[in-house]
Amino acid sequence: MELSHRTLSLSGHYRELTLRDLEPAVALQLFRQMLRLRRMEEALLAEYHPAEEMRCPIHFCIGQEAIPAALSGLLKADDFLFSHHRSHGYYFAKGAPLKELFAEIYGRSTGADAGNAGSQDISHSGSHFYSGAILSGAVSISVGAALGFQLRKTGQIAVAGFGEGATDEGAFWEAMNFSGKRRLPLLFVVENNRYATFSDQLKRQADDNICERVRPFGVRATKIFGNDAPLAHRTLEAEMKRLREGDGPALVEAYTYRWNSHVGPEDDSSNNYRAPGEMEFWKDNCPIVLLEERLRERGMLDDAAKADLEREIALEIAANFKFAKESPFPTVKDWHRMNFEDASPMADRLLGTASRGGFDPDQAESKLGPY
Amino acid sequence: MSRQLSYAKAILEATDQAMGLCPQVIVLGQLVDTQSGIFGTTTGLVGKYGAERVQDFPVSENLMTATAMGASLTGLRPVIVHQRLDFMLYSLDAIANWLALWRFKSNGKSAMPVTIRTIAGKGWGQGPQHSKSLHAWFAHLPGLRVAVPATAYDAKGLLLESIFSETPAIFVEGRGLFSMTDDVPEKPYRVRFGQAVIRRQGKDATLVAIGSMVPVAMRAASLLEKEGIEVEVVDPRTLNPLDRKTICDSVSKTGRLVVADPAWLSFGAAAEIIATVSEELGDRLKSKAARVTLPDSHTPMSMALEKEFYPDENDVAAAVRKSLG
Ligand SMILES: Cc1ncc(C[n+]2csc(CCOP(=O)(O)OP(=O)(O)O)c2C)c(N)n1
Ligand SMILES: [Mg+2]
Repeated sequence: MELSHRTLSLSGHYRELTLRDLEPAVALQLFRQMLRLRRMEEALLAEYHPAEEMRCPIHFCIGQEAIPAALSGLLKADDFLFSHHRSHGYYFAKGAPLKELFAEIYGRSTGADAGNAGSQDISHSGSHFYSGAILSGAVSISVGAALGFQLRKTGQIAVAGFGEGATDEGAFWEAMNFSGKRRLPLLFVVENNRYATFSDQLKRQADDNICERVRPFGVRATKIFGNDAPLAHRTLEAEMKRLREGDGPALVEAYTYRWNSHVGPEDDSSNNYRAPGEMEFWKDNCPIVLLEERLRERGMLDDAAKADLEREIALEIAANFKFAKESPFPTVKDWHRMNFEDASPMADRLLGTASRGGFDPDQAESKLGPY
Repeated sequence: MSRQLSYAKAILEATDQAMGLCPQVIVLGQLVDTQSGIFGTTTGLVGKYGAERVQDFPVSENLMTATAMGASLTGLRPVIVHQRLDFMLYSLDAIANWLALWRFKSNGKSAMPVTIRTIAGKGWGQGPQHSKSLHAWFAHLPGLRVAVPATAYDAKGLLLESIFSETPAIFVEGRGLFSMTDDVPEKPYRVRFGQAVIRRQGKDATLVAIGSMVPVAMRAASLLEKEGIEVEVVDPRTLNPLDRKTICDSVSKTGRLVVADPAWLSFGAAAEIIATVSEELGDRLKSKAARVTLPDSHTPMSMALEKEFYPDENDVAAAVRKSLG
């Protein structure tokens, strides 16, 4: 049966997850990464109110840990990752320092962007991670990074991670057209969680068939059950390998689900947008639980090992909170310098000065024609 | 040893020299690789630098801008070209939501050295969708530089400066200026942003002229000279940053201000200049400041109306006379 949100929520507990061809270390690392991300998000969510110290919109990604965890093991340091408002999973996937994520959300000078960006616009350029809240904007910019890699023959790849909502935008389809035409080393990862805020995909699009629609543009496309972390790992690994060999672009659509409200810890269920039984299905198929079942069956994880991991993660999170809360707030230095770079080392090196002659204002203007 | 070059040829030469000096410079735009080459401003570049560095781009202006931005993150220095400013408006999101604030958002750690060339159309019935002159929109945005070169000399120097600077630049060209010539030195040189020039000295009134209004203002000054009126013509050359000091220094000498801007009257660059002067020396003005602009109307096609729509030297001279009382 074709994967779609309609069919999935009727299908019961997912039994296809397999570790068969996976290195044990990879399987354990996927588990560890998902748990780190989950616990981090839970902690941020719990701390948001009533402390009121994180004063920016946060789009939590609880329930959607499999894709970030899989990406985190596959991206190289010099690959570029672009993402959207629901940014934490991708920031994490690129290996950018989490204490700077915490400090950024707390608006501190030690934040990834010194408090200028916050959760939904965060970037960490040292890690080649960029995001922004304007839907599909980061998809478009990733096209340019991939073009740069292709023209310079660097072997790097660009990845854009976003939701199915971004595919409503015209900019998204311009990106499909050009990246397919140029065969760019670019991976599009769509986390289809069915909703754009409270709006079902089928209220906005004729069908739940993004993969089908991008293929005619020359974009290879695969849909997967996105809570199966080993499957996500295998799929992304194969696609990234082909991209590095010059066989791009590719799109992977991962069906997954957001457990929390669209934004913030507040409850948005009064909007009644979720289908009946849907949340139960997705909680039953939590990406962490699905992998944990197999790891335990195979004797790769037990209570003691999990408790150790939980302790290690709790310490890491506590240290990140401490770093953020103890960091100073930024102070205004110079609004101009915050927005403009006046130094121009390259122009200084390459360009000279020359004196100006006398411009003759009495000459006729261009003879204008139809074009 | 002066050499006359047209505005279009000066843009071509700047681009050619930039590409020769730096292999990271690329040009993207619809039809940039054709013989006609955007009014001759890109002609021949593809033969010299190849189709990878001089790329015809799909008719996707928003994506083109974003592509240039992403490419700049990988070390390239893209120049993108729009045949008309009107077409560029599909890219407003890329410009206002991403490009302008990229440096800010990253706390200065990431730069997007992108140059956006765009042409403000004029004449021969270009009409309301091929002639918009929206330099003020871009100058309003923090994080963007905006150049409005009026002469071939400035076009070359400002384009080279834009390409090799770290702040993104919008480079607004006037269609009516393309064949006008000027002394243009052969070597690659820079014209810095935020440095106005005094094109003509005078003591009676300051006439600030922007872009394609510069030659018009100069002709108006010649007319007025015959009447014994000495006008000082100031060309800001760039709107962001704006050389407020040179403008104010001139007005503090003349005591009178007229601004000629090839754009709509309301909320435009002329208003910004007059506001600056009134904040600095409003109580020292000898007469009311005045604006000579396009009317607050879209551009008509008919040549009969077009003639009324665009101000000429007589309109500018009349405004100066009025300010002298
Ligand atoms: C251009 C633009 N339009 C509207 C919004 C408001 N908005 C914020 S998130 C969102 C829904 C996004 O849905 P999706 O892309 O599926 O990502 P998800 O939130 O489900 O992860 C919308 C419409 C926006 N950020 N940008
Ligand atoms: Mg969604």
